Amino acid sequence: MGKLVLYGVEASPPVRACKLTLDALGLQYEYKLVNLLAGEQMNKEYLLKNPQHTVPMLEDDGKCIWDSHAIMAYLVRKYGKNDELYPKDYHKRAMVDQRLHFESGVLFQGCVRNIAFPVFKHNQTEVPRTKIDAIYEVYDFLESFLGIKQTYLCGNNLTIADYSMVSSVSSLLGLAAIEQQRYPKLSAWLDRMEKLPDYQSNNGNGAQMLIDMLSAKITKIV
Amino acid sequence: MVLVLYGTEVSAPVRAVLLTLRALELDYEFQEVDLTAGDHLKPDYVSKNPQHTVPTLQDGGAYIWDSHAIMGYLVQKYAKDDALYPREPLQRAIVDQRLHFESGALSVRWKQLKHLLFEEKVTELPIEKLHETYALLELFLDGHEYMAGDQLTIADFSIVTSVSTAHLSIAPVDATKYPNLSAWLTRISSLSFYEQANSTGARRMAELVRAKLPKQFDKLWQKAFEDIKSGAGKM
Repeated sequence: MGKLVLYGVEASPPVRACKLTLDALGLQYEYKLVNLLAGEQMNKEYLLKNPQHTVPMLEDDGKCIWDSHAIMAYLVRKYGKNDELYPKDYHKRAMVDQRLHFESGVLFQGCVRNIAFPVFKHNQTEVPRTKIDAIYEVYDFLESFLGIKQTYLCGNNLTIADYSMVSSVSSLLGLAAIEQQRYPKLSAWLDRMEKLPDYQSNNGNGAQMLIDMLSAKITKIV
Repeated sequence: MVLVLYGTEVSAPVRAVLLTLRALELDYEFQEVDLTAGDHLKPDYVSKNPQHTVPTLQDGGAYIWDSHAIMGYLVQKYAKDDALYPREPLQRAIVDQRLHFESGALSVRWKQLKHLLFEEKVTELPIEKLHETYALLELFLDGHEYMAGDQLTIADFSIVTSVSTAHLSIAPVDATKYPNLSAWLTRISSLSFYEQANSTGARRMAELVRAKLPKQFDKLWQKAFEDIKSGAGKM
């Protein structure tokens, strides 16, 4: 097996989704910091590897892949001892894929990035209430995706959909709390995810970092 | 086993699935879901798809939604080979990244623009974000004929539907500014099934968008409208 290198920053939710996956697969990897706020993702060397200049990026024996969802799927397919984290069964796979695309569009781009980008890039200190409402809409959907007595997002087995979703959801708790009464299933799912081995080092710490960074900059919801 | 596709042809993701179904030469039934009439919010539809979006695919007793998930499902289950969605991990990772680029960057930006036009009725449209997306697509195509490499994949189907709609309405793809993207659009639109699966729906959506366009687009609107009427560029 070639050398695996993960490029990223702790605060980035998709980087943490990949960390959770790498850890679950028992894979050794090198971690290389890309300081986004300092614009390191725009360095010529990085751009050659990833023209979209995002994190995370995975280098596997010199080959570069980016987008957390593509990376997670790649890792399971190439290195997983079985297909549990990303089932081969067509229907089960389609459900994981739907959750992953929900995360890229509605949750990450629609909520996380939509809030974080103006705050960090343009120093906007006020966040429109509609952006907070959008987080609750995501929570409403996730509550409906989680069936009664369903342990994880795609059934009773943990999949990369759970890693992807929790990395972003955990990062938004400072702006939109998940009340148990309002979201009993989502709340229980989050508790369950937080109890996963090494959750704190792979996701929890980084999520708190992003929560703190946002809270330090945002002065008002308008 | 009858495949049923729920949707409406003005929707870009629905058209992405239509392109895939046609490419795979699969028989299917099309069930119209009128979004303006709120068909997607009716209990019957929500029970099939709790996210109440289009498209939704019914295959036997199973309901699958999200266009990218549906396209992947159809190729994996029904295609004679894996050309449209390669099994090789690295090649697949590239297709997956393009698909997530579509659902994340492209799709969300397009939806935001539509929201501003149809719901907030703005007089200025911030199309720079769409141009940033075009610039990235231009880079993805560097040295390749298709979005994910040297062969046609579902990444092309996914991306062409919203790009073609934007091209016909608010952000024409300038061939001098985006030579790769422009050539790619022509290439995809030459597919035999493109006209029926994407062209008609894209034009309908483009007309709806253009009818709402603010003043800044008058000149653009005129030209695009003339293109549509003359059927220029097979778009």
